[in-house]
Amino acid sequence: MIRPRYFFSETFTSLKRNFFMAFTAITTVAITLFIVGFFAVIVYDIQGIINSIKSDVELAVYLEDNISEELKKYIEQEVISWKETDAVRYISKEQALERFKKQNEGSDILKEIEGNPLPASFEITLKNPEKIDQVALRFYDKDGNCIEGVDEVIYGRKYVNTLFSITAIIGTIAFLMVIALLLAAVVLIFNTIRLSIYDRRKEVEVMKLVGATNWFVRIPFLFEGFFEGFAGSVVSIILLYFICNFLLIRGERLIVDTMRIKELAVVGSGNFLSYTYIGVVVLGGLIGLLSSAIALRRYVKV
Amino acid sequence: MIELKNISKIYEDNTVALKNINLVIRKGEFLFLVGPSGSGKSTFIKLLIKEIDESNGNIYIAGRNICNLKSSRIPQLRRNIGCVFQDYKLLPNKTVFENVAFALEVIGKPDYEIKIQVPQALKLVGLYSKSNSYPYQLSAGEQQRVSIARAFVNRPPILLADEPTGNLDPGTSEGIMKILSRINLIGTTVLMATHDRNIVNSMRRRVVELEEGEIVRDQKRGVYGD
Repeated sequence: MIRPRYFFSETFTSLKRNFFMAFTAITTVAITLFIVGFFAVIVYDIQGIINSIKSDVELAVYLEDNISEELKKYIEQEVISWKETDAVRYISKEQALERFKKQNEGSDILKEIEGNPLPASFEITLKNPEKIDQVALRFYDKDGNCIEGVDEVIYGRKYVNTLFSITAIIGTIAFLMVIALLLAAVVLIFNTIRLSIYDRRKEVEVMKLVGATNWFVRIPFLFEGFFEGFAGSVVSIILLYFICNFLLIRGERLIVDTMRIKELAVVGSGNFLSYTYIGVVVLGGLIGLLSSAIALRRYVKV
Repeated sequence: MIELKNISKIYEDNTVALKNINLVIRKGEFLFLVGPSGSGKSTFIKLLIKEIDESNGNIYIAGRNICNLKSSRIPQLRRNIGCVFQDYKLLPNKTVFENVAFALEVIGKPDYEIKIQVPQALKLVGLYSKSNSYPYQLSAGEQQRVSIARAFVNRPPILLADEPTGNLDPGTSEGIMKILSRINLIGTTVLMATHDRNIVNSMRRRVVELEEGEIVRDQKRGVYGD
C-alpha cells in the first residue's frame, strides 16, 4: 500500500512544478532562521563578555599593619575553606607598593610617598560573583565593625550590583527577542506553507475524490514542508558561517586588540557555532514539518 | 445497489436541500436525476460520496449503511464510486495519462497495473492518442472524457456524474453520453444529475425528478418532463 518511491517522486515533482511557492518558502525559512541564528550567536557572545567581566570582580580585604602571622594564616585558611571561594591571593605591603609604583609610573604622586603607606591584603575571587555581598559580610562583626586584623573590605558594591542587574536585564531581553524572532519565523514559514497548500487545494480535492486515504494526502505535503524547512536552514547556515567567520570573529579580534579585554573572542572559541548550526537545521526541519501539519489540519480537511 | 431511506439534508443556514427521500437504485441501472438548479441534485450526489453528512435517514450502498461509516473508511467507499463533475477537476500540471494514473496511484496500485489499466480507460473514452497532452491542450469535451476515464479507471461498480454535459455543446454532449452508456453496458450503475432536456429525452432511461428537495416523479424510460 505505502509506496515510498511515489511519495519521493511526488514531493520532488511538486517542488519542481510549484517552484515559485517552494522558492518562497525556502527563502523565508533561510532568512528568518538566519536572523534567529545570528541573534543567538550575538546573545551568546554578550553572555561571554558579561561572564568575563563577572569573573574580574574581586574582593579586597585590607589587613591591619600589626596583624599577627597566626591571624593572617587563620584568615587565609578560613577563606580558602569557603565554598564560594575561587582563589585567594596574598599581597604583601611590599608587593602592593610595587604594584602602585607600576600603575603610576612617571606620576608626581610617587615622589610624595614616604615609606610604605599601603596595607597588605587578600584578593579573593569568587566562583559565583553574585554572592560577593554575603562573603564580604563575613569580615564584619554584629556591630558592623571589621573583625580583628582586618582594616577594610573593598569591592565596589554599587558597581557590582549594577553590573549584575544590567546583565540580568540584557540576558532576559535577549532571550525574549530570540523567542519572538523564533515565533515570527514559525508564523512566516507556516503562512508560506499554508499558501502552498492552498495553492494546491484542487489536487487535494481530486485525491480525496478518488479515495486517497488521509495519510496519503498528507505525506507529500509533510515531506515538502520538511524539505523546504531543511533546505532553508541549510542556506541560513551557509550565510551564518560566512557572517560569523569573516565578520564577527574579525570584528571581535579588533575589539579585543584595541580594548585589551581578555577572553572576549568567544564566537571563535568553543562549540557554540557548531551547536547553532545543528540547532538551526533541526529547527528548520521541525518548523517545516509542523507548519505543514498544522496547515493541513486547518486548511485541508482530510 | 443504492438505497436511500427517509434521507433529509438541512444545511447549517437552515436551507432544506432534501426532504424525506426514499429511493432504490438497482445494480446496473442508468438513472437521470433531473430538476431545476437548487432542487437538491448536487446534495444528493455529495451525500453518496460522503462529502457531506445527512441530517436524517440512512443510505445503503451494496447493503452497507454508509451513514455510520467511520471517517477512516470513507476513502474505501469512494474507491467504489467514480465521480464526474461539470468542471472536470483535472489537474492542470499533469498530463492526460498522469491525470488518469493519479486515481490509481493514490489508492496504492502498483505500476504494472497502472500501465495496463490507464491505456484501457483512455481507449474507452477514445483519447489514447492524447496520453501525453496537458488538459489545456484539449477541448472541453476531451477534458470531460479524461475525467470520465479517471472516474472509471478503477472499475468502480457505481459512477456518479454531476452535470457532466453542463459546459458542453449538444454534439459533444452526445459523445459523452455514448461513453456513459458504454460504461453502463459493462454493468456499472450510473447516476447522472442533469438539466439537459435533450439528453434525457433521447436516452429514455429511468428519470427521477427533484423539486425543492422532494421526489416529484420517478419514471421508467422517462423524459425530462413538461
